[in-house]
Amino acid sequence: MFFASFFFKKFSDGEECLRYYEGMPKALKPVIVIILAVAVAAGAAVFLSRQPDQPGQSSAAAPLPADIKSGGHFRGPENAELTLVEFGDYQCPSCAAYHPFVKEILSRYPNRVRLEFHHFPLITIHPNSMAASKAAEAAGEQGHYWEMHDALFEFQKQWADRPDPKPVFAAIANRIGINGTILVQTMESPALQQRILKDVEQGDQAKIQAVPTFFIKGQQVYIKPSIEDFVQVVEANLRK
Amino acid sequence: MKLRPILIAILAFIGMIDALFLSIKRNAGPIPCHVTHGCTDVLTSKYSEFGGIPLSWLGLAFYVTVFSLAVFTVFENPKKDSGLPLRTIFYLSGVGLIISALLVGIQAFILKAFCEYCLLSAALVLSIFLLSPHPVRHTVPE
Repeated sequence: MFFASFFFKKFSDGEECLRYYEGMPKALKPVIVIILAVAVAAGAAVFLSRQPDQPGQSSAAAPLPADIKSGGHFRGPENAELTLVEFGDYQCPSCAAYHPFVKEILSRYPNRVRLEFHHFPLITIHPNSMAASKAAEAAGEQGHYWEMHDALFEFQKQWADRPDPKPVFAAIANRIGINGTILVQTMESPALQQRILKDVEQGDQAKIQAVPTFFIKGQQVYIKPSIEDFVQVVEANLRK
Repeated sequence: MKLRPILIAILAFIGMIDALFLSIKRNAGPIPCHVTHGCTDVLTSKYSEFGGIPLSWLGLAFYVTVFSLAVFTVFENPKKDSGLPLRTIFYLSGVGLIISALLVGIQAFILKAFCEYCLLSAALVLSIFLLSPHPVRHTVPE
């Protein structure tokens, strides 16, 4: 349409045609600037988003120290081909969101994959996270660490914002078949806190910047919160 | 020298990078924070989308619109300057400011976690709003 009117004016009125000709680049200039700017912004965003994914970058987590196996809780066979190391925080909503995928992976690869969980409570933003880690450790003292681990994530919303989460922890303990009163008493043990702080120290050494953070074979792995991505990452590492 | 629209365009350009970065990172696993704590919590929370559309996409649409309006103002003939693009930026950034304030409030009081990229966006929207001339003031004859 534009070109039709342009050519019509070209033959009907010489001066008008000249004005159109001069006007075209002026109208196009801002459009070209906008397209170029969006392209440059997209390039910059892609570049920045890839930065932490590259191993060896200062913003990425450092390889795990060799003595990492001195702490953590294991779930799965000892002779598993692959150990998925997770640093997590029981009060962190994204850790709760990742939890079903981790469980699903363990059930899909029961003989080949095991989980190694380390506490990394971000107490500045999650005030009940340390108490939750203590509750999990206290349940472990009664031989039910993983039952409590699952329940803490599954019922996170029921205790996360409570000024005192202990009654909820006791109720969860009773529900999974252990003594809630003993659990709350055990939570006061300084030994449990030392165990958790040892995990935190290891996480700090690995320069963890977000939770959950996963490692496989000593290297941080970035996994999207989807079972497809978990399977892809696990399969890729099982083949190595 | 059209300083205001140039500054607005620069801020909107930074906003475009921020929104695109968040759109890419949103579904790419944990998002590390360098200044604050809780980027993943904020960006994977139920408040990170509206009607199934990620807020980063809405932010991107906002910044591209503001950038385009600012660029058109820069290239506009001063004699024919209607002031319409800048007035539109004023109203758009006003709405953006209200939404940003709500989102900062959600981070502070509901999620109790802050995402530095979201805070940067809020600061950019505030700066754009302050830079865009108030339409009443703009039309008063000198």
